[in-house]
Formats: sequence, C-alpha cells, structure tokens
Amino acid sequence: MKKLVYDIINKLDIPEVTYADVRFTNTDDQVIYFEKGKLRHFGSDYDSIDLGVRVLVNGCWGFAGTTIFNNTSIEKTIKKAISNAKVGSKFRKEPATFKKLKPIKDSYFFKPKEDPFLMDDKFKIDFHEKIAQKLVGNKKIVYSYVYTVLYRQYKVYANTEGTFVDSMVYDTMPMMYVLASDGKETMCRTWPGHMNGRRGGFEVVRNVKMEENADKIIEEAIKLLDAPRIEEERADIIIGGGHLALQLHESAGHATEADRIYGKEISYAGKTFIKPAMLGNFKYGSEIVNIFSDSTNEGGMGFHLVDDEGTPGANVDIVKNGILLDQQTSQETAALLGVQPSSNMLASFADDIPLIRMTNFCLAPGKGSLDNLIKSTENGYYIDFTKTWSIDDNRNNFQFTTEIGWKIENGKIKHIVKEPTYYGITPEFWGACNGICGQEEWEFHGTFHCGKGEPGQAIHLSHGVAPARFKNIVCNVKA
Amino acid sequence: MEFRNELVKICEQYPEFKFNFHHRNWETDFLRFYQSQINYNISKTSVSLSTTMYKGKKSYSFSLKNPAKAKLLEKIEEVKMIIDKLPEDPDFIDLEDDLTKSKEKEKINNIEKVSLDKKIDILQKITEAIEPFDFKIYGTFICNYRTLYIINSNGLNKREICSPIFLEVKAVSNKNEVTVLEAYGGENFNTFDVERFTKDLAAKVEAATGEIVDVEPGEYEVVLAPRCIGDYLMYLESSMTARSLDTKQSFFEGKVGQKIFPENITLTDDPEHPDLINFDYNHDGHIYKKLPIIEKGVFKNFMVDNYYGRKLKMKKNGAEGSGLVMETGNKTREELIGSIKRGLYISSLHYMNFINRKETSVTGLTRDGTFLIENGKLTKAVNNLRFTEKISDVINGITDIENQSYTIPSSSNYGEFEIYSAKMPHVKVKGFKISSSTRTV
Repeated sequence: MKKLVYDIINKLDIPEVTYADVRFTNTDDQVIYFEKGKLRHFGSDYDSIDLGVRVLVNGCWGFAGTTIFNNTSIEKTIKKAISNAKVGSKFRKEPATFKKLKPIKDSYFFKPKEDPFLMDDKFKIDFHEKIAQKLVGNKKIVYSYVYTVLYRQYKVYANTEGTFVDSMVYDTMPMMYVLASDGKETMCRTWPGHMNGRRGGFEVVRNVKMEENADKIIEEAIKLLDAPRIEEERADIIIGGGHLALQLHESAGHATEADRIYGKEISYAGKTFIKPAMLGNFKYGSEIVNIFSDSTNEGGMGFHLVDDEGTPGANVDIVKNGILLDQQTSQETAALLGVQPSSNMLASFADDIPLIRMTNFCLAPGKGSLDNLIKSTENGYYIDFTKTWSIDDNRNNFQFTTEIGWKIENGKIKHIVKEPTYYGITPEFWGACNGICGQEEWEFHGTFHCGKGEPGQAIHLSHGVAPARFKNIVCNVKA
Repeated sequence: MEFRNELVKICEQYPEFKFNFHHRNWETDFLRFYQSQINYNISKTSVSLSTTMYKGKKSYSFSLKNPAKAKLLEKIEEVKMIIDKLPEDPDFIDLEDDLTKSKEKEKINNIEKVSLDKKIDILQKITEAIEPFDFKIYGTFICNYRTLYIINSNGLNKREICSPIFLEVKAVSNKNEVTVLEAYGGENFNTFDVERFTKDLAAKVEAATGEIVDVEPGEYEVVLAPRCIGDYLMYLESSMTARSLDTKQSFFEGKVGQKIFPENITLTDDPEHPDLINFDYNHDGHIYKKLPIIEKGVFKNFMVDNYYGRKLKMKKNGAEGSGLVMETGNKTREELIGSIKRGLYISSLHYMNFINRKETSVTGLTRDGTFLIENGKLTKAVNNLRFTEKISDVINGITDIENQSYTIPSSSNYGEFEIYSAKMPHVKVKGFKISSSTRTV
C-alpha cells in the first residue's frame, strides 16, 4: 500500500492544490467478551482498510475517504476531495494557511512482548473464561462481564511537502465489571477502571491482574450496598490515578485543544473557556501543577513519529508552575495563535479527517508515595474508579462520581463510602491542588474511547498521572 | 444485489452452520461550517459485511470491509477451524425468524438531491439573516444514503434504505459567545422550509442579544424545549429494553401495567411516523412497527429483541426506540411560558450521564440557550447550568404539555453516523433541580 499512497500523493502535486496529504490504515481488532460467566461475543475485524485524501484548494479543506480499493473508487475519491474543497471555497472567507514543514521519511514498528494476533484463540478464551467464572456465584452479584479489546493498526502517511512515514502500533484494553444488588439498590465495581487502555499486546491483559482482583471487586461492590455516603459539604480529596486521568482529560485535556478556541468543534464537542490572550499569564492551577502533551513517549498510546499532518512528535508544556503556556494545536491553529504546532492532529482511521486530539497528555509527578499523601491528610477522602463524568460546553464546570471512596481520618483510611460525587470549576479546582505523588506512583492510564468530531471519531490516547490531593472540594451532590 | 444472492447461497451451502449477515453500503456528504464559512467538506463511502456464524450454541463474529465472495469463503474456512473450540452460550436459542417484510420502499438519494452548492446557498441565506445581530453560524449539514441487507439462515432476506438529512445550525454571538440552536431532520427535503428555519433561528438570536445573568442552585419551574424532553426519554429508553432487565439495570422492572408517571404522559415508538426518519426493521431484521411504551402514565411494553426475547421468554416486538413520539397536550408554548412567574426556559442539554441507571439519576448541563422567565416572559440569557436529577422525577414533574410537537433530529455520531428523530412537544416541569452554574454560556 506504500506504493498506492506514493502514487496518489504524486497525483496531487499539482498547482491548484496548495497542500495535500494521503493516509492509508489497515486495522485489526479482536474482542473477547464474557457476560455472566458465558461467552457472549468473540469476534474479529481483520484487514479493515481505509484510505483518506485531504486537500487544501483556494484556502478551503476538502476531504474524501473510502474503504473501496479499486481504481475507479480511488480516482473518484481523489476527484471528490478536490471538488469538495473547490466548491467549499465559495463559502470560505478566511483562507486556511500555515507554514511548510521540513519533510520526514521514517518508519516505526512497535513490538509487543506478546503479540495477541499470533496467539492461540483458545488460550485467550480460556484465560478470560477463568476470570468470568470468578465473577459469578455470589448471590448478590446480579450481573458481571469481562472483556478485552485487542488492536493493532498499520498506517502510511504522506504529504505534498515530502513527508512519508509508515508505522505499526499495538494497543490493548482489558476490563471487568460486577454489579451487586440487595433488591433495593445496585452498586458496581470495575477493574482496572474506565481508563483501561494501554500500549502493548497481551502482556497488558496479564499486567492488570484481573483474576487476582476479582474477589476484591466483588467484596467491595457488596460492601458498597451498605456503605454511607459523604456527609460533609466540602472535603479534601485524594484522587487515584485511574480517575485522575479522566479528571485531567476532561478539565485540562479537552479544554486546551485550540480548535475549540476558534469554534471549529462548537457544533458537537463544544467550546473552551480559554482565550488566546490567556497564554503565558492565566493561572490554571497551583504552582505544583505542571501539564504537558508528549507524543515522544513510546510508553503511551499517543506516541507517533509524525502526526496526521506531518508535524514531528513533540513534548510541549501546556501548564508550567500553574500558568497556562500553550495549547494542543494543528498547523493552522498554531499559526493563528503564533505558536509552534504541537503535533496533535490525528484521525482514528484513514477515512476520517484529522482533528486536534490528545496524545500522551500528562500531569507531571510531584514528590512522595500515596501512603505518605494519605498520612499527611487530616480529614478527607481517597476516591477512585470513575462511575459518572460530565463537563460543560466550555470545560469549566465538571461533576464526577466515582464507584468507591475511602474516608481518611487523621492520616488513616477508615471505611468506604458509596458514589462519592464532587463538582468544581476547572481553574479553581486545579488551583486547589496541594499534593501530587512522585515518579514512583506515576503511570500511564488510557482509553480507546475519546470521542470528538463530526463525523465522530473515537481515538486511543494516554494520560500519565500520579495520585493527587485537592483541598476543600464540594463533594456532596445528590440527585 | 449480486452479493446479496451470494449470501443467501452461502446460508444454503453450509447447513451445519447458521449465518447472520448485515451487508451495508453507506455514503455521506458531510459539510462542517464555523464562523459563517466552510470548515470541511467531507465525503465518505464504505461497504462492509458483518457476519456472525453459529454452530449450535457456539458463535464467532467477524467483519469485512469491501467484501467479496472469495474473501468471505476464506474467512468461513478459518472460522470452521476455531468454532468447535469455543465455549457455548447456553442462552442462545436461535436467530431471528420473523419473515414479515415491510414495503421496502425505494428512497431518493439525498446526497444527490441536496448538492453541495444547494447547501451553501442555504447557509448563505441563514448567515445573512443573523449577521445584523452580530452572530455567526456554526454546525453541520449532512446527507447520508445507506442500504442495509439483513440475511440469515432462517430465511430472512430483507433490505432497508435510509437517506436522512440533518442540518444543525448554532448561532453564536461575536460579542459574548451566547449560543442558540435550530435543527432540521428528515428524509423528504421538500419539508424543509428555509424561510421558516431562518425566521425561527433569528427569533432565538434576537432573544439572546440581551443581558446574561446567573442563577442560584435550587428548584425551578422550567419549560423544557422539545429536544430536552426528547433527550431525557431517549436516556430512559435504555431502561425500557429486555436487555436492561437481564442486566438488572431497568427502572421499569416489575412495573408493566403500573401507573408510574402522570396521566398526561403517553409515549409511543413509531418508526413509520410520516414526520420522522423511518426504519423498516430492527437490528435483527424483525419487522419494526408502532409500539405503545407509556399510555396515560402506565408503562405498557418493553422493547424486546430476538436474543433477550428468547432468553427471558418475552414476546419479541422489534421495537428499538428509533422513533419516539410523545403525545401533545393542550397549551401553547406561550401559555407554558406565560404561566411561570420566575423560572427557566431550557433549549438544549449537554453531556448527560447516569449516576445510577436503575434509579435513573443523572447529571448534565444546559446548552445553546438557557433563558430566565420573569412574569411569563423570556427576559435574559442565563449562563449554562448543571442539573443533578432523577429522570423519573423530571417526568413526574411535568405539569403541562404543549399542543404541538416538533421533529427533533439526533445522531449516533460514531461509525456510520446514523441519524434518528423523535417527535416531542415543549413541557412545563415543576421542581427542576439546578445543582450549580457553569459561569459561562
């Protein structure tokens, strides 16, 4: 397919096309899903091939994508991309412009420790069946499931500036869930939580130790039925890594996507409270808050050599010592903001347009262990495992519920609480951060399901975080 | 057509297996606009085949893009090597066996009917109408054309064509980003009245040009716009399925025949309603016909598909909530607003998520135009607000319903961007719980 991409990009090297890029993806995935102890779904989607052609003509973008790989279809796709741009330019007042980048020619092939696509299917089924069986049997557990999504994607990217890169990555997403009921109410627990995607092969499934944690989540789900709720109006909260990844994702990650500043995503994903004039001076958080976008770290699902418009992978400070410095940008929005593009333009598949997406969006570690952070907390709650998430159109007001929380008194864990629900305003919340654990607690969490754009795309991304503490947070919201 | 026949032959060729095929041809012309200009014009085409292959109670599923007979046969041979090794699903009884066919109407391809030039003309007209208010337009203008063949080893051989149009325009103030929304959805573009659409949007823009205020958390009397009550009912719909009974997350468990909502609440699922985007079959290929869900406050029916119908021994009905219609009341919109001394008008909801599905507790936000009602009139725009509520409480709080309803389009957004619609009126709700302000519009 490299030749096909090469041939198409050469065809687009014509005077009427200011810029063009061509992408090809071949995606394999496999899903193993047990429900209530029984295999409910086992399936694969192999050799799922897509082609996308993006052109800039008369200052307007045109795009066409297809899954049909015959000559007629490919020619039609090229012509459609150009005509979409040409006709569209009649209703485009400000032409899209950006600087030319230095061409890159390179390849990247991730090697998983255990390639799940070379493993015996029976082994993978048996592995999950054993876990599924552990989740059933207790009368109070009325529903359970365990699943893993295995994924790999080969991509070829080329543009008219001379960049030509191909890559192969592997991502894996394992999860188990139990629902307990006492006939009156229901409470759930998951493992390893909703930020469960990781770069890697089947080793990811082994590393999250689902079988070893099955009894623990069953016990916690049942205990939650009789657990108290948070009574205080406000409290200090320590947020565990799995849930903090989502807190960072929603209230800092999406908020600092520059396309939102210019209204390109108002229609569906929304806007942001951030304005260009805030860069370099806005207090986004306390002095210990350092947030960066790093597509150069191979440990996360956001690693790449170049993004989907040819910008080389980069590590960019978004918030430094609490001050907002930069945005996640495309070439076009970087030019509007007067900053360097941050290498955040990505599409899920080749027949999707690239959008500004988080890659490895991280909170820098502070100091000390989680144990020490709890010990230094007089009164508060340690909460983790996302249950509900919601944030407003401008990424300012958020509210989260976690599956479980633990009361802390005088530096010690006392008892569990059910459905801890807290809300906050983004800069005030990050401004209340008064403790972040150190490198020893810092790890990547991630998801396959970050949704954005129209037509919608779900992308794989990672968040590096360590547990952190936030002071005096409203944590008693009830329906 | 040729490939459809091949799929039927494959069902006959391998009698030791049962097959369930979904063969889709899908295309979209998808215009994205922002700041009253084009952002992207996107065209996509896709041909795919989703297959589930059964041997007794064992099954394996796979998808193929751009499928061809040779590739499919190769895959079937691979599955033959795997399937015996898999554990059974003892709850699987059989594939769909409802052979009832709809009229399988031909439909105009709206991608061809509503050209890019025509879309641009419409957007220019809308832009000109709101420019004097210092607003710009943002949104999407989409036409899809999808042909789906559902074929299985029980003799199903059905076709459904869908060609929805979806126009969503947000008008955003250049001054303070206050936003209002107007949308159109349907399959018959002759029902689109650009003059009326523009007039309705401009009226909303005019109402949003004044002062923006904040309100305190608390309980309010509110008028919910049709798309809001539609959103609540669509969320609640996940509790109305047989699957939700099986997963123990249904609010309606044990409530069939019980009066659970006020007498003025009647809800049907009507996939043939002339004002809605129509569907012939559910995902199994079962005929999809009108079904009462709630009648005068009494919960009447769960939506039951093939797998869970057989598993739970419930009668299959093919309903899947893609055409919800709420019965109208006897008040005008003006009367609903006019009867409120101090309250809120909520145009649209955003980022709603369940806290506890069985209890129907959710949190979410208002968006695209929240207004203060004072002495029966919309007086000021209000910052977007957060609510934390039980949907059952919202419905139980409905005191009055508008005497007309509106087609509300929505989309699944992901994958093949399926477009649905519902028919909903404005409703007045008492005791609506606002839990915090976003301090932004």
